[in-house]
Amino acid sequence: MPTLTQQQFDPVSAWARYEPDARRPWNFALAGHLYRRAAFGATWDQLQRAFRDGPQRTVDGLLRPSADVAAFNRQYDELETPANDENSSNDLRAWWLQRMIRTPHPLLEKMTLFWHGHFGVNAAKVNSARATQQHLQLLRKHALGNFREMLAGIVRDAAMFLSLDAKANRRALPNEDLARWLMETFTLGPGRFSERDVRETARAFSGWFVLQNQIRFIERERDSETKRILGQEGRFTSDDVARILAEQPATSQTIIRKVYRWLISETAEPDDRLLAPLAESFARKQDVLQLVETMLRSNLFFSAAAYRQRMKSPVEFSLGIVKGLEEAVSTPPLAEALARLGQNLLHPPTARGWLGGQNWINHATLAGRHNLAAALLKSDGVFGGKLNPAAVAGKHDSGARFFLDLFLQGDAEPSSASDAGADARRSAYAAITLPEFQLA
Amino acid sequence: MAEEEANAPTQWIPADAVLAVELFQPKALLAPFGDGKAAAAFAALPGAGKRKARPGFEKFMGVVKYLESELGTDWPTALTKMTGGGLAFALRPQQQMVLIADAEDERMLTQLHEFLWKAASANKKSGSESSQTSSQQVDGVTAWSLGPKEAHTIIGKRLVLSSGFSELQTALAFRSKSGGSSLAATPAYQAAKRAVGPDAAGMIFVNMAVLKQAPGIAKALQPKESNPLVALLFAGIAESVGASNWLAIGLRVQEKEDCLALQVVSDGAKLDPKGPAAFALPAKREEGALPNLSVPRQIAALSMYRDLRRFYGAKDQLFPERTSGLIFFENMMGIFFSGRDMTDDVFAQARPEIRFIVANQQYDPAVGTPSPQIPAFALVLQMRNPAQFREVMEEAWQKSIGLASFTRGQKAEPGFVIDRPVHWTTKYSVARFSTTGVKDRSKLDTRFNFSPSLAMPGNNLILSSTEQLACDLIDAAGREAKQPLAPLAQTHSLLEANGSRVAAALLANRENMVRQNMLKSGGTGESDSTGIDALIAFTEFVEQLRLTFSAESGLNQAKLELKFKWPGQKVAETR
Repeated sequence: MPTLTQQQFDPVSAWARYEPDARRPWNFALAGHLYRRAAFGATWDQLQRAFRDGPQRTVDGLLRPSADVAAFNRQYDELETPANDENSSNDLRAWWLQRMIRTPHPLLEKMTLFWHGHFGVNAAKVNSARATQQHLQLLRKHALGNFREMLAGIVRDAAMFLSLDAKANRRALPNEDLARWLMETFTLGPGRFSERDVRETARAFSGWFVLQNQIRFIERERDSETKRILGQEGRFTSDDVARILAEQPATSQTIIRKVYRWLISETAEPDDRLLAPLAESFARKQDVLQLVETMLRSNLFFSAAAYRQRMKSPVEFSLGIVKGLEEAVSTPPLAEALARLGQNLLHPPTARGWLGGQNWINHATLAGRHNLAAALLKSDGVFGGKLNPAAVAGKHDSGARFFLDLFLQGDAEPSSASDAGADARRSAYAAITLPEFQLA
Repeated sequence: MAEEEANAPTQWIPADAVLAVELFQPKALLAPFGDGKAAAAFAALPGAGKRKARPGFEKFMGVVKYLESELGTDWPTALTKMTGGGLAFALRPQQQMVLIADAEDERMLTQLHEFLWKAASANKKSGSESSQTSSQQVDGVTAWSLGPKEAHTIIGKRLVLSSGFSELQTALAFRSKSGGSSLAATPAYQAAKRAVGPDAAGMIFVNMAVLKQAPGIAKALQPKESNPLVALLFAGIAESVGASNWLAIGLRVQEKEDCLALQVVSDGAKLDPKGPAAFALPAKREEGALPNLSVPRQIAALSMYRDLRRFYGAKDQLFPERTSGLIFFENMMGIFFSGRDMTDDVFAQARPEIRFIVANQQYDPAVGTPSPQIPAFALVLQMRNPAQFREVMEEAWQKSIGLASFTRGQKAEPGFVIDRPVHWTTKYSVARFSTTGVKDRSKLDTRFNFSPSLAMPGNNLILSSTEQLACDLIDAAGREAKQPLAPLAQTHSLLEANGSRVAAALLANRENMVRQNMLKSGGTGESDSTGIDALIAFTEFVEQLRLTFSAESGLNQAKLELKFKWPGQKVAETR
């Protein structure tokens, strides 16, 4: 078990590579922790392999899997492409869950989910499955890539414009909504720009329209006059806006804080000093993969400051069960169930995404999580009884604690989950409804 | 004949049987197994190779081979010889069952018994927990049991098998009662047998009177349809089943034509001519549904006799809980039909003969092929007063197309362009989507499956999902006008389908179906495609399906005819 807290780290040792030693040994619990954060949970075999391989080799595999990820994603891109430009993105939502379950590169999907929460595009407002799909593909393409390039794509993304009610950006009436969201939520953060910056940025977006669900630039609507944005002056376009915003140190800080919250902890706010080494590096290269790699390999990540310091989102909760039990389930009903638990994929409540943390849990959603767990484990019903705890336990020739080890890696004692001798479905249910399982 | 009746296996089945199957001509039903057609059909099913490769299958086939060598013949011949004199099977309350088979070859029956008895006894000696063989005297004969829920005896050429010694006793007791309270002696069974006719090869009898005593079943059989469209389609059928005391399915085999006909008969009351559901009742003796129209690439056709005016007039009695929805429907229709009364001014204009046709599409290479490929479908009504109603209908149709285009425009989607071309001498209306600017013509949007059309040749009113089908129906209506066919008297519904064309439609959309299955099952695609391929292969076996519903001689009848096409058998494409 990790023993160090955030306060016990200086920035250098916090972000230094974790090397197991007698005081902080590599164990099953840390392997599970890594798979919860960098993936959607692990199978028994993955946990065993991670335990054998050690932390850095396991992180290698998660960052750069040997499987042909491009071929997998091409196949799923084709499968999820709607036959028509439907208004509903429900199938797309279900395909995304399938992809999360089956992908050979779960970290990529995990980070795609992160960016989806960051940019908060709502498919109901986009009203075009194809535009939503293109948005999702944009997020996936840059999820572990370069943030500046991602931002450049975002400012030309039809779904983003539609979701922010900015489908028409006229010279005579610049749309300030997109500019404000872009600065306040997606890059700089609140209080780091002026109203004038918003107005001038809106002018830079003039000429961009979404027509027939496709982005189009209309030259006659462009405001070609000089604009002054964040102290810089020029005949700026939306591409310039993306560049200027990406260059700002405040943007790097916003992104790093969010990724920290996503991968390390949402219970303690890190101080600027702790994040300074990361901010410096990220501001220079805008390399998301490098940022994620540093965090995942770090002493801080494998410490008590990170361990179980996040609340699982409904997606993480449900896919953790599915992954552990080594099968895929029907995802249209799963997507519906997740929506009832507060995480309607492709439909975040606002452009800020989901608040996350303790907001995921209340009396109703906790009961809902238990119901979903029961439904997933049922031998029939909407999920078709595809998850078979008995078969998984039998396959691995496990002992009485199998489901506690698989799902909680020793974080709960047998007495708290009636494991020994109980029916496999009941044992699995007991393990996944423990409070510890709600934590990532 | 009388002697045959007296010795019929059903004479030994108690009258409380809930379900009984009697095979009068087992040989005819087993023929496809004997001549290898059925085996070839199963072998042709996708996944057959995989099934054969399973260890369980191999073990099973080993037992079958051993049995065949013991009996000295192949299993279909053995089965025919052991059941050739007739067979009856019945399910009774409390999960009791009885099976009676009259063999042609008594020796073979004895051989089979001895083989099974030896095998079960050997298991018992080896200490197998599941082996519980025993024998005892039942009603003066020796009976054997191979397990806890089985008992059997052989009396001459007759095998009597039941779910226990006491049930066997009940069956054997009929030997001295000569009919008595057996199933065969009940008026319901006799009426059912008469209704399926003497040429039936077998009959499935459902004792509805007993079945309805089970909690839940009576409730399930209560007519409670609240969906007007479903009520319109299945008028009288649910009511009839709910009111029936028995239901019989007669099996007929026409070996030369590879045709299996199922005739479903029930004694459910005919529709009350004054009741709200009487809209499906042919008004005169010679009236009924019209024969189906025939068009190229036809998948299925449904012909019905439904008085729409009467149906809509009775809506408040039929669907009282739907009143507000129907008022909304009427208000909407009022816009299309310019405030006319739906009952008297619109539905009354249609005669009760209604036809619905589904056909595969032939896509114009110049336009492209959409994905998924949706078959064309059309509704054909007969107008009572074409001169008066034609323009009313044209106006309503154009308004609806305009509304659809407007609604699509609101979503930034392309709308329809209306045209009024002429096919032979019939001017019709069609609404098409423009393909101008469409780059990839190999996978067009689903909308290109549709070119809604309205044609009104003679007194026909054709509402089609595509222009092609509308034109084909104008041709079909022209042929019908030259050679009118008499209605199918007292038949209120006729469904015909062509298995090969259904299979072709499924095949054209295989990829999309696999995709949807993957999503629903969470599968990888391989298992999902096997199921769909099996469905396509099975559909191909059914060359023709014909289902009719009628009310003849006071009985409601459903007749299902299935004509099979065995693998390797070529069927001439009709058009």
